Amino acid sequence: MDSALIAHITRLVLEKLEHHPGQSPSTASAGPTASSSDHKMVKIWDHLSDRPHIINGAERNEERWSFRDVGSDNTGEPRVEDILPPLETKPGVDQPQHADALVALRASTPARIGVGRAGPRPKTETWLRFRLDHAAAVDAVYGEVLPELLEKHNLFTVKTMARSKDEYIRRPDLGRRLSEEAKRVLRERCLFQPQVQIIVSDGLSAEAVIKNFEDTYLSLVQSLQQLGLKQGTPFFIERGRVAVMDDVGEVLQPEVVVLLIGERPGLVSAESLSAYLCYKPRRGTVEADRMVVSNIHKGGIPPVEAGAYLGQVVQKILTYQASGVALVQKEH
Amino acid sequence: MNQQPDGEVLLSAGIDIGTSTTKMIFSRLTLVNTAGATHVPRIEIVDKEIIYKSPIYRTPLKSDTVIDMDAVLSIVEQEYQKAGLKPEEIRTGAVIITGETATKHNAQELLHLLSEKAGQFVVATAGPDLEGIIAAKGSGAYQYALRTGKVVANIDIGGGTANIAVYKGKKLCGTCTLHIGGRLIRFEEGVITHLSPPVVRLAQQHGWPLARGDRFSQERIRQVARAMVSTLANVLEGRVEEQDRPLLLGHPPDWQVDVEAIMFSGGVSECIYRKELDSNSTPYGDMGSILAEEIASSRQLKKWEWVTPTETVRATVLGAGTQTTEISGATIQVDESALPQKNIPVYHVDLAQLNEGEETIREAVKRAIQIYDPNREGQNFALYLARLPLLSFSQVHDLAQWVVEAYRLQPNQADPIIIIVENDFAKVVGQTLKMIQEQRGVVCIDQINVEHGDYVDIGHQLASGVVPVVVKTLAFHS
Repeated sequence: MDSALIAHITRLVLEKLEHHPGQSPSTASAGPTASSSDHKMVKIWDHLSDRPHIINGAERNEERWSFRDVGSDNTGEPRVEDILPPLETKPGVDQPQHADALVALRASTPARIGVGRAGPRPKTETWLRFRLDHAAAVDAVYGEVLPELLEKHNLFTVKTMARSKDEYIRRPDLGRRLSEEAKRVLRERCLFQPQVQIIVSDGLSAEAVIKNFEDTYLSLVQSLQQLGLKQGTPFFIERGRVAVMDDVGEVLQPEVVVLLIGERPGLVSAESLSAYLCYKPRRGTVEADRMVVSNIHKGGIPPVEAGAYLGQVVQKILTYQASGVALVQKEH
Repeated sequence: MNQQPDGEVLLSAGIDIGTSTTKMIFSRLTLVNTAGATHVPRIEIVDKEIIYKSPIYRTPLKSDTVIDMDAVLSIVEQEYQKAGLKPEEIRTGAVIITGETATKHNAQELLHLLSEKAGQFVVATAGPDLEGIIAAKGSGAYQYALRTGKVVANIDIGGGTANIAVYKGKKLCGTCTLHIGGRLIRFEEGVITHLSPPVVRLAQQHGWPLARGDRFSQERIRQVARAMVSTLANVLEGRVEEQDRPLLLGHPPDWQVDVEAIMFSGGVSECIYRKELDSNSTPYGDMGSILAEEIASSRQLKKWEWVTPTETVRATVLGAGTQTTEISGATIQVDESALPQKNIPVYHVDLAQLNEGEETIREAVKRAIQIYDPNREGQNFALYLARLPLLSFSQVHDLAQWVVEAYRLQPNQADPIIIIVENDFAKVVGQTLKMIQEQRGVVCIDQINVEHGDYVDIGHQLASGVVPVVVKTLAFHS
């Protein structure tokens, strides 16, 4: 190719760029980008401007978003659904052969299927959502449970032997042990040998506790009341792992422990809460004796329903005086 | 996975008392927890095995208008014995009275007698729409639609009626019932012995000379059969012409979709798909085989794809025995003493706007009392709480409070409060209902699909904590 032609093409491209509002960083606030008008439903990040904001191609006007006014919940953080439209309504495949079947398939799983492609790559929306979900997962691990939430339900806080988040992540064994201080506080403040001991811990997702703890807990307490079961003094363990219940078992000697703990975040949900239950957990308790009801969040079992169900599980554990595999064996 | 190898087993009975034939089946439904070990259980019917099929009996009649109840009961008893089963062992199922038999004077009486005697929770069902739906599930048409996503019409042609149900995927699109059946014209030794009233009307409309006592004429009967097939084709296209009216039973076709494939079931379909049929023989002494021939050779019906059914003459009984039972969600709240509940009408309440819930629920209960209990005799009903948003604990309490207050309007305060929740909230709603009031029992279940105006029967709680539910769709609601 001769150099004159290359120069000519380069000039054409540059002219085109200059005449396009919204394509250069300096005009980010001037109007929709060229690409946004082609994808009417897709909101895309203008990643070139300093502050995050969204260009909405469908409405052809500009909305400025800041992290502070997007979030409607306590945390003030933007919710994914405020930033990107829900994927369920819009399969990414442009011309599906069996549109109904595709919708049904997509409804059957939260996995990213039927999202279409742009050449060999995912579409922009799909890719951004993936990045967002990944970021949300990371945020959930490093988040903190709000003190107001704990105060509201009269939960005091004790710590494990993990002294920082980093240490907690690197040393799972330390998250399974209560600090000496924590044991002392528990002896002082908690009912000894309760029938049911409820514990809350951030685990790997503070977000899970923030979103789901309250409804699960209140519903569980109501369920225990109705079944005539007595609970001890509930409290919060910062940076706890599931097996930390064994230390609690040693100190307080409850019959049943219910530990509500944030699950390891995934790309489907970063706010999944789990309830681990165990009959008389003590040091050396094997994992097979623990039971879990997982997936407590808005996309799984609703927190209020989970709480009501947990009461029933606690009752069963007390009836059979066993949990986990041992319970299944006794049942049959 | 927590797949217990020994899932809970439920024996189910299906009894179909049709215009011309009566048959029964017994099946074994296997319930298994299909959720993972770490999840809240989800109990599903994973296997349906037919363990016994009765022979096909001629439906015993005392006269044209009265069913011989004793004879029917002795057939049923005899079949239980042959199958080696006792009624107490039967945990679920349905009795259905179909076609013209449903119009007999003692049909209702027989239905309820059988549902009492046949097992713990055998549900009485009737109604042409429901017949069509049950037949479509028994013939394999529903399953075909589910598998292919196509619009499939199942046409169940028995002795007295043709019941059409149209499915698109798993969605019921509509139903229609026609006076088209094998035994609408009967003859003996070359003489016409029976003409059903719709056939008489049809003949009058066309000016065909046709009367009881006439000499049997294949040409005459073929003429009638052809008119029936033409009406069937029109109806499948979703339209009703003037000449089709005499054959229409109840409402016109109400599906808003184009049918893509058709399937025939019922007694007449046996003759359609059996290719070796001798065209001159009339073995049943009725117009069934001629009707079948006309259907098989109809050009009009060729425009649709024909799908072979998995079951022909036994489609309805199979549907009644294996497809009517649904299983509730595993987290529910029911007072065992309040079960079973039978023939409970369902009133739909849309709660998408939860902030208006108090008003919505009170109005719904008022309306439900007006419709189902106009004379305030205490007929109970179930509220179906649909489209609830994700509820917080305080919202559950508000909701329960609204329900309890609205239910105070019911004349009979001794009956249980029956609530069906669309979303997975039955346990917490039920618990809260019990928390805030003690005098009334509570039956609160979820994960059952019911439409406004359906009737439900709710059975005893099973070992896995679920309850079997039979939903009886009496009419189609678009």
